[in-house]
Amino acid sequence: MPKQLAELDRVFTALSDPTRRAVIERLGAGPTATTELARPFPMALPSFTEHLAVLERSGLVTSRKLGRVRTYALVPTPLEAAEHWMVVQRRTWERRLDQLDAYVRDLDERP
Amino acid sequence: MPSTLGDQPDPHRDLLLEREVDVPPELVWAAWTTPDHLKRWFAPTPFTTVDCEVDLRPGGVFRTVMRSPEGEEHPSIACYLEVVAPRRLVWTTLLGPGFRPGDAPASTPTGPPPFTAVISVEATDGGTRYTALVMHSDPDACRRHAELGFHDGWATAFDQLVALFR
Repeated sequence: MPKQLAELDRVFTALSDPTRRAVIERLGAGPTATTELARPFPMALPSFTEHLAVLERSGLVTSRKLGRVRTYALVPTPLEAAEHWMVVQRRTWERRLDQLDAYVRDLDERP
Repeated sequence: MPSTLGDQPDPHRDLLLEREVDVPPELVWAAWTTPDHLKRWFAPTPFTTVDCEVDLRPGGVFRTVMRSPEGEEHPSIACYLEVVAPRRLVWTTLLGPGFRPGDAPASTPTGPPPFTAVISVEATDGGTRYTALVMHSDPDACRRHAELGFHDGWATAFDQLVALFR
């Protein structure tokens, strides 16, 4: 899989969960500490920090530890327009060539 | 494959796709150069190719009409630059027939951005390897174009995502 698409897969996986989407929205207001982020969610802290880890692996957020407090912040970079544009172009051509490959294989199998 | 001028992709604005298929190179070549074949696969779904004209020689026209699921038609005129059967095919949407600048219809907000495509085809043990190099003009122009609207559900989802960060 092309690198850009692999990155986007992680982004979409990260955003496929309502808790993680809520965290992203919350971080839209500014960097926030773990305990503060966790407060609205009725789940154990380890489960919640796993959600944060998924977000961090996707590149959507980054974290920084100061003393005993870990603070999360949004990273807008993975979603820059240029990348978006290239991914749309690539997707169009990948789809086109998928169709070509399927078509010529089908032609080749005909008597 | 020998490297020729213009075959080096610029990672910021070009796409290089490489495929292998277990069919003879002649079949892949025919699929790229015959209107009846092109109509069956060239438009990325859910678009369809409703008309296609091929004048297979340098300066010859490559014309397609794609139809959106909503029934909107998008004509496109391109000009072949190189035709070396069954190995290499180059065309550009930046020129019209006879290499005439400006005869190609201006790209529309919903259509694809202007590009030059280099298709290289070679035989392998089991079939065919081919590459498609798609070259675009400067990324800013392409981006502006893209921002005017690519109607793709996936792109829309992405736009919504981007909006979240604004």
